[in-house]
Amino acid sequence: MKHKKELTPLHKQYLKKERKQKLIVLAGQFGFLILCFALWEILARLAVIDSFITSSPSRIWRQLVELLKGGDLFLHLLISTKETVIGFLIGTVLGTLAAVVLWWSPMLNKIFEPYLVVLNSLPKVALGPIIIVWAGTGQAAIITMAVLISVVITTITMLNGFNNTDPNKILLLKTMRAAKADIFTKLVLPSNLPTLVSCLKINVGMSWIGTIMGEYLTSRAGLGYLILYGGQVFKLDLVMTCILVLCVIAAVMYLLVALLEKTLVRWKS
Amino acid sequence: MQNFLRLDTVSLTYYSKTMETEALKEVSFEVNEGEFVAIVGPSGCGKTTLLSLVCGIMTPTKGKIYLINKEVTGVSSNVGYMLQRDYLFEWRTIQKNILLGLEIQKKLTSKNIERVNNLIEKYGLKEFAKSYPNQLSGGMRQRAALIRTLATDPDILLLDEPFSALDFQTRLNVCDDVYRIIKKEQKTVLLVTHDISEAISMADKIIVLSKRPASIKDIHYTNMGHISSPLKRRETNGFAQQFEKIWQELNDYETQEGTDSITQAIS
Repeated sequence: MKHKKELTPLHKQYLKKERKQKLIVLAGQFGFLILCFALWEILARLAVIDSFITSSPSRIWRQLVELLKGGDLFLHLLISTKETVIGFLIGTVLGTLAAVVLWWSPMLNKIFEPYLVVLNSLPKVALGPIIIVWAGTGQAAIITMAVLISVVITTITMLNGFNNTDPNKILLLKTMRAAKADIFTKLVLPSNLPTLVSCLKINVGMSWIGTIMGEYLTSRAGLGYLILYGGQVFKLDLVMTCILVLCVIAAVMYLLVALLEKTLVRWKS
Repeated sequence: MQNFLRLDTVSLTYYSKTMETEALKEVSFEVNEGEFVAIVGPSGCGKTTLLSLVCGIMTPTKGKIYLINKEVTGVSSNVGYMLQRDYLFEWRTIQKNILLGLEIQKKLTSKNIERVNNLIEKYGLKEFAKSYPNQLSGGMRQRAALIRTLATDPDILLLDEPFSALDFQTRLNVCDDVYRIIKKEQKTVLLVTHDISEAISMADKIIVLSKRPASIKDIHYTNMGHISSPLKRRETNGFAQQFEKIWQELNDYETQEGTDSITQAIS
C-alpha cells in the first residue's frame, strides 16, 4: 500500500534528475523539428536547393493559409478523415470478429491459417482494379481499400493474442465449470484489451495507408487526391502541405487511441 | 459419512502422435469427510493428473471415481481447485476475483455475496477488497486465491502444490495460514506436493506414489491431528522420523535421482 510520506532529500534529487531528463528529451524533439525546418528554409532561400522542386516552409505556410481561406483544406481533410475512420472501424470490428470465430473453433483456425498467411502477405493495392470494378469509383472503393488493409492484420494480431491466453487461467475457469462463452467474456477478452489497443494503434496507420492509396486509385476529393493532383501539375507546395497535414491528423488519431488505452487498461498501472 | 471421495482402480493413459504414456496405474484410495490427505511422489509422476481426474476435467481410461457416492463424470460444482500460482485476474479487484466462481455458476445471490464478504472480512482481506492484485504481497495473493476457492462453498478442496511459487519464508507462513483457514472452515482436502515436509506438516494421511506409471506405494497416518499448526508439527520428534521413512520410500524409486530428491527435500 502506498502512503504519502515526506520525500527524503536524495529522493527529491532523483526526481529532479528524472524531470530534467524528460525536459531534455522534449527539448530535443522540438529542437530537431525546428532545426530541420530552419535548414530547409535557409537552403531554399540561398538557392542551394530548388524550392520549385523541394518547396520550403514559408511556401508551405502560404499554401496552407490559401487552402484554409478557400475552405478547401477543411473539405478535403474531412473527406479523407471520414473514409479513414469508417475504414478503421469496419476493419477493426470485422477483424476482431473473425479472430473470435477462429479462436472459438480450433478446427476453423487450422483450416483458415494458410489463407490468412497468404492474405497477409498479398499487397492489397494489387486488388485496386477489382475493387473499382466491384465497388465503383466512389468513396465505397476507398473505404474498401482501407478495410482490406486493416482487417487481415487485425485478425492475425487479435487471434494471436486470444490463443496466447494463459492456459492455467483457462484451467482455473474450467474447474469453476465455466462454459466457453464464460472463458471468452471473463478471461480471453479482458486479458486481451492491451492487444486490442495495440491493434488500434497499428490500424490508425493502416487505414490511412488504405485511404490515401484508394484516393490515388480513384477519387475526386481528399488529401490523397490533392497530393496526386499537386504532383501531376508540379505544385510541390501543395504536396508538401498535404503531407504535413496528414502527419498532424494521423498523430491526433494516435493520441486519441492512447487516451482510450488509459481508460481501458487502468489496472495495468 | 464414510468414503467421501473414493477412487476405484483408476488408470489413465495419454496418447500422442508418437507414443502412449501410462500416467496412472490402478490407483485406489479413499478420503473421509473432514480429512486432510496429501499425495507425495516424484516429480512428473502424475500427481496433477490425479487432481484433474478428481475434479472432472479429465476422464479416467479405466476405473471410477466417486464423490459423495456420486460418480464423477464432469466438472462438479462441489469441488474447489487451487493451482500452483494464484492466477488472480489483474483487471479485477480482489473482491471481484473472489466472486468469480459464483459469477460463473450464476449464484451471485445476496446470501452468497454476504457469505463471501464475511469470509473476506474474517480472513483479513477487507482492506484489500477494492485493490487490484498487483498491489498485494505474494502471501496475501495466495490467501485471496484460497478465499476464491472457498467462495463457491465446495465440499472438497484440491490443492495442487499451492505454495511452490513462494519463497521459503513466505511458504511456511502461508502454509500455516491456509491450514488454519481450512480447519476453521472444516473442509476435506486433497493436497498434491513433492515436498515431504509440507505433506507431514499438514496432512492426516499421506499417500506415497511411485514413479510413472504412478501406483500407490504406501499410505501413512501422521497422527498429529492434535497439533494445531504446521509450524509446530515441524518441531516434533515424530516429524523427522516420518520424513526419513517417506524419503526412503521415494528414494527406492529414484536410485539414479537420489541426490535430486535430497536437494528437493532440503529446499
